[in-house]
Amino acid sequence: MFEFHSVGGSLLRYDPESRLHRFVRSLVITVTSLTLLVLTWWVGAITLDITFLPTPLRVYEAFWRLIDVGDLATGLRLQDHIVASLRRFVGGFLIAFVVAVPLGLMMGYSRTTEEFSNPIIEVLRPIAPMAWAPLFILALGVVTGPMMVVFIGVFFPLLSNTVFGVKKIDSYMIDAARTLGASNLQTFYKVMLPCTVPYIMNGVKIGLGIGWMCIVAAEMIMAQGGGVGYFILNNAEQVGNWPNVFVGLIIVSFLGIITTGIAERAHRVIISRMGME
Amino acid sequence: MTEHLEIKGLKKVFKTDDDEVVAIEDFSLTVKKGELISLLGPSGCGKTTILRLIAGLIESSGGEVLVAGNSVSGPGSDRGMVFQEFALFPWRSVRKNIEFGLELSGIPKAERHTRANEYLEMVGLERFANSRIHELSGGMKQRVGIARALANDPEVLLMDEPFGALDAQTRNIMQKELLKIIEKTDKTILFVTHSVDEAVFLSDRIVVLTKRPATIKEIIDVPWPRPRDRASPDVTAMRKRILDELEKENVMIG
Repeated sequence: MFEFHSVGGSLLRYDPESRLHRFVRSLVITVTSLTLLVLTWWVGAITLDITFLPTPLRVYEAFWRLIDVGDLATGLRLQDHIVASLRRFVGGFLIAFVVAVPLGLMMGYSRTTEEFSNPIIEVLRPIAPMAWAPLFILALGVVTGPMMVVFIGVFFPLLSNTVFGVKKIDSYMIDAARTLGASNLQTFYKVMLPCTVPYIMNGVKIGLGIGWMCIVAAEMIMAQGGGVGYFILNNAEQVGNWPNVFVGLIIVSFLGIITTGIAERAHRVIISRMGME
Repeated sequence: MTEHLEIKGLKKVFKTDDDEVVAIEDFSLTVKKGELISLLGPSGCGKTTILRLIAGLIESSGGEVLVAGNSVSGPGSDRGMVFQEFALFPWRSVRKNIEFGLELSGIPKAERHTRANEYLEMVGLERFANSRIHELSGGMKQRVGIARALANDPEVLLMDEPFGALDAQTRNIMQKELLKIIEKTDKTILFVTHSVDEAVFLSDRIVVLTKRPATIKEIIDVPWPRPRDRASPDVTAMRKRILDELEKENVMIG
C-alpha cells in the first residue's frame, strides 16, 4: 500500500464552534440593522405625521386585519392575493424554464442553432418585460398575461446562463467520455448536462429575482383577478389605505427574499452535492 | 508476437484560413501486445496530436490506424485514454467514475460493481470508493483516471503525459505504480512524455520525435528488465545519450 498526501484537507478544517460564533455574530448584526430601519421609519412617521407614512404599529394592525377579514378595496384576504401572485409567478417561471433550458443547451451545442437564434433573441432582449404587459394582459387575460411577463423576465437570464454553461464545459471531459465509448447522445446527457447544471441554477437564481419584480408590476396593469400588485394599486388608488399599501410592500419584499433564498440555497446544495467548484 | 497496434503513414495537416501547417508527417509504428512505447519529443512537437489521432479525437489527413487488426476511425472504447488534466467527472464518486465506461455499454449494476472493485483495488483506492473527486490529491486523481480507462478493458491504453501535472515525488510513485499495473493487466500502452527520465524508466521502446512536422527520429530499445534502477550506469548513460540527441534538435526539453 502507498502513502497518500493531503487527503481532503478542506474536510478536516470543519470547526463547529467558530461556525456557531460566525452565525451568532451575523445574526446580531442583521437584527440590529433591521431594527434601526424600523425605528427610523417609526420616528419619521411620528415626526412627519402625514397619512402617506403610517407608523409600523398601524401597519402591523392592518396586516392582521387583512389576514382575518381582507380589505374593502378588493374584498379579498391577503393570503388570497399572495396565492394569486405566486401562482402566476410559478407558472411563468416554469414555462420559461421549460423553454429556455432546452433552447440554451441546443444553442450552446450547435453553432447553427446559435447563429440562427441570436438575431431573434437580440431583437427581443432589449424590450423590458413590463413593456409587454398591456399587450399580454389584453390578449391573454389577467392570469396568463402577467404570467407571460414573468416568463419574459426569467427567460433571458436563464437562456444566456445555460448557453454560457455549455460553452464552459471542459473539453477534456468530453474527450474522456468519447474515448470511454460514449455516443453523442450519451455524451450529451451524461457529461454536458451535469456540467451545465450549476450554470442553469445560476440563471434560475437571477431569473427568479427579475421575475418577482415583474409579477408585482404586471399585476398593476388592468388590475383584476387578485395578486399583491393588484392589492397595492387598489388600496392606494381606490381607498387611500396607506397602512394596507405598506403591508403590500412588505409582503413583496418578504416573498422576494424567500424565493431568491430558496434558489440560492438550491444552487449551493446542488453544486456541493455534485462536487463542482 | 502479434502486432497489436499498427500505425501506417499517419499524417495531420492543420488548415488555417490560407495557410497549412503540417503537424505530423508519415508516422508509422508497430506495437506488440503488452509493449509500453514512449513517444518522446520537445514540447509542441505533436506528440499529443499523434495520440489524439490514434484515439480518434481528431481526424487524420491521411494514413491508417489498426487495433488488433481492425482499421479504426473516430473514438472507441478499444482505445482507452488517460489525460494529463485527469478529466474526471466531479459530480460522480470515485467508484462511479470508474464505472462510467461500463455504464455506457449497458453492463448490469452488480457486474459494474464487481469490476469497479477490482480496479479500485488495483490502484489502491478501495477506501476512497465513495469519495468525491475534489477530495483527492493529484496522484489519487490520476489513479482514478487510470482505473477508469482500464475498467473498460481497452485493447490499447493511450496515456497523454499522465503524470505531467504531478509533483516530482508523486510522479516517481505513480511510475512505479504503473509498472505494477502493467504486470497485472499486460496492456499495450502508448505513453506520451517529455521527460527522458520517465521514458527510460518505463518503456520497452522509446520513439524519439523530431520538431514539427513530427517524424520519427529514432527508435531506441530499452533492454533492461523492470523495475529499473534510475541511478545505474546503463540507465544514466542512455538518459544522457537521448538528452544529447534532443539537444541537437536545438529545442528546450522540460
